[in-house]
Amino acid sequence: MQVTERSHKAQKVIDRLQKKLNRQMVLSLAGCVHCGMCTDSCHYVLANPDDPTYAPAYKADQIRKLFKRHVDWTGRVFPWWVKAKSVYSDEDLEELKDIVFGKCTNCRRCTLNCPMGVDFATANRMARGLLVSVGVMPEGVAVVSKDQWEIGNQMGVLKEEYLETLEWMDDELQDELGVRHSLIPVDKKGAEIMYTINPREIKYDPRTIADAAKVFTLAGVDWTMPSEGWDMTNFGLFSGDDDLGGTVAKRVYEKAAELGVKRVVISECGHGYRSTRCEGPNWGGVNIGFEMESAVITMLRYIKEGKIKVDRDRNSVPVTFHDSCNNARSCGLYEEPRELIHLVCTDFREMYPNRAENYCCTGGGGAMSMSEYTPRRLKSARIKADQLRATGAKIVITSCHNCVDGLSDLIKHYNLDMEVTQLVNLVANAVVIPEKIEVMEKPAAVVHTLKGFRILVIDDEPETRTYLSTVLEDNAADTIQATDGLEGIEIARKEQPDLITLDISMPQMDGGEVFARLREDPATRGIPVCIVTGKPELRKLIYDKPYRPPEGYLDKPVEEETLVRNMRKILELASGASKEAAETL
Amino acid sequence: MTEKKINGKTIRVMKGNVTDLEVDAFVYYATEDLKLGSGYGTAISVRGGPSIQEELEKLAPLNVGEAVVSGAGEMKAGHIIHSVGPKFQEPDEEMKLRKTMISTLNLATEKDFKRLAFPPMGTGFYGVPVEVCARVMIETIREQLTDGPSSVEEIIICVPDNRELAPFAKALEAA
Repeated sequence: MQVTERSHKAQKVIDRLQKKLNRQMVLSLAGCVHCGMCTDSCHYVLANPDDPTYAPAYKADQIRKLFKRHVDWTGRVFPWWVKAKSVYSDEDLEELKDIVFGKCTNCRRCTLNCPMGVDFATANRMARGLLVSVGVMPEGVAVVSKDQWEIGNQMGVLKEEYLETLEWMDDELQDELGVRHSLIPVDKKGAEIMYTINPREIKYDPRTIADAAKVFTLAGVDWTMPSEGWDMTNFGLFSGDDDLGGTVAKRVYEKAAELGVKRVVISECGHGYRSTRCEGPNWGGVNIGFEMESAVITMLRYIKEGKIKVDRDRNSVPVTFHDSCNNARSCGLYEEPRELIHLVCTDFREMYPNRAENYCCTGGGGAMSMSEYTPRRLKSARIKADQLRATGAKIVITSCHNCVDGLSDLIKHYNLDMEVTQLVNLVANAVVIPEKIEVMEKPAAVVHTLKGFRILVIDDEPETRTYLSTVLEDNAADTIQATDGLEGIEIARKEQPDLITLDISMPQMDGGEVFARLREDPATRGIPVCIVTGKPELRKLIYDKPYRPPEGYLDKPVEEETLVRNMRKILELASGASKEAAETL
Repeated sequence: MTEKKINGKTIRVMKGNVTDLEVDAFVYYATEDLKLGSGYGTAISVRGGPSIQEELEKLAPLNVGEAVVSGAGEMKAGHIIHSVGPKFQEPDEEMKLRKTMISTLNLATEKDFKRLAFPPMGTGFYGVPVEVCARVMIETIREQLTDGPSSVEEIIICVPDNRELAPFAKALEAA
């Protein structure tokens, strides 16, 4: 039976489709000749060779049929001939959602391999935007989008958390460089550089901020971080919401203009770089009166100009480089990182294929926020795992925070013996601290001892429990071990430890539930908690809960020095705040 | 900041985060199930603590156009009004937004609130056009302050971005 009634949402999608078309879009929707050249370029196809629904041409056809039916004259006159078809029901929209969000990371590798110049990723992003406008989207996309619209960044980092983290990193850097004045200036008017970051750095990887600050400090440049407009990431790129894209980009631009800086430096983030530097001015409809560049280019320039000296022998472990799709394929940023790697590492091994032809980390396009598609994502990551394994490297470098998470996840899934790092970490490790910094007034030595503290380790893996406990005891802490969540809660109530390390993925009761119970119980809510997990995709189990966030977060495997430094810092901060925390939850 | 007196009462438009304000109540653009979720919901959960969501569990669900009041936990505000408005281009968007505003303003008077703060209702994530939102909000506020009994003496419309400032200032000027 022919369905003629159209749901309200489906009608809105059709109405908006007409408004989203431009010349590039029409070319992509009209130009496909179904030659199949794009097929094998897609990592989803390589992992699912018998499923034609992953083929870029098929996926594009699900969007193209709407264009044909409602815009192109051929489809309006001969719909059966050109396979023009409309959407009628909310179920039709759900099917489209599954394709545009769940079967493509918008990596644009198929675009590169299309002889007709069809940019499927652009059409796919447009389709995402149509669905988002009627509220049809994966839950993770909704959560992140709303955070960025209303809080100002993708991860719901509140202003106080942002500023406290900068202060913490400032303290760390002062200790490292032996100086006793602030090294991370905030909202400094007239500074030459405004440094913008990814909120992931605040939540999970603050060391990258301290490392960047170290480079800026030793280069002797006049720089600042903004108190607002600091998030250079942009979920509008992933969700297809151009309004969000423009609004977020303008926050950065407006802050840079307010401070009067000459240059905005964008920390290592593929989609942030593309959004802020390349797409944002168009989304926002604004002209930019300052320069914008990736921190990769900034660091390379400082070395070349002699502003910082580096000793590449400090980075002698074999490394390879993963090109972020947004950096390399969409923005042409692939020679500069290699040049920088050669300056700060001794053993670089190229990955093949590379540069614009590199395969996606599979975490792009917002995929890391869509947990319902995780099995598909990891299955499609096999080609990336093969690429990584073939290099023989022990470290994979990437200039993208999404790629850090995507690669970390697949490395664990495919049991690769590798770690992920960013160039800023390697540059900061290689940088030579000049004499004049060393002779500056030195603070009292910071003793990283845990003597006198009792730490409860909750983890279901015996090896991890033993490792964490051994490291902590070697640093003079007393430890207690719990093999599961229930036991951990019971011990926490009874023993009142000074700090708890908590695994997330555990049988019976996961770490999210354990965390909630610890925070709910007046007897345990004041005890600082540090999450130690090998499954970063599960962190929403913790951070989506309506409680005071955990005091720390570490990815497994965690190095000894990192573990001890973080434990000490959490205990230092908690010693003055524990009573207040106990009262405010 | 832009402000105007209507019937001796103040309406202000300012930029900031509505959950930061020290007012008798601020408005949260809620979902029918009254789950706080992300965005301003994140700020309410983190800064206010779990008591707010616990209180909401007993008040849910609501229909579009309705509003309820809860405590604000540890936040600077005294209360939060949770108002369920239209989302994602749903039918009769403007009429529903008007109804939501009236319910919210009536509830504020019922609770004898003097200082009340609104975000731009439904713009941004939920896609209510900024111009429509500004016109409906300012109109319903003006009507309430002019014609209806109202305990409210000051209303702050606290917008997150410059994109909302000009449309609200223009609507306020025209009121």
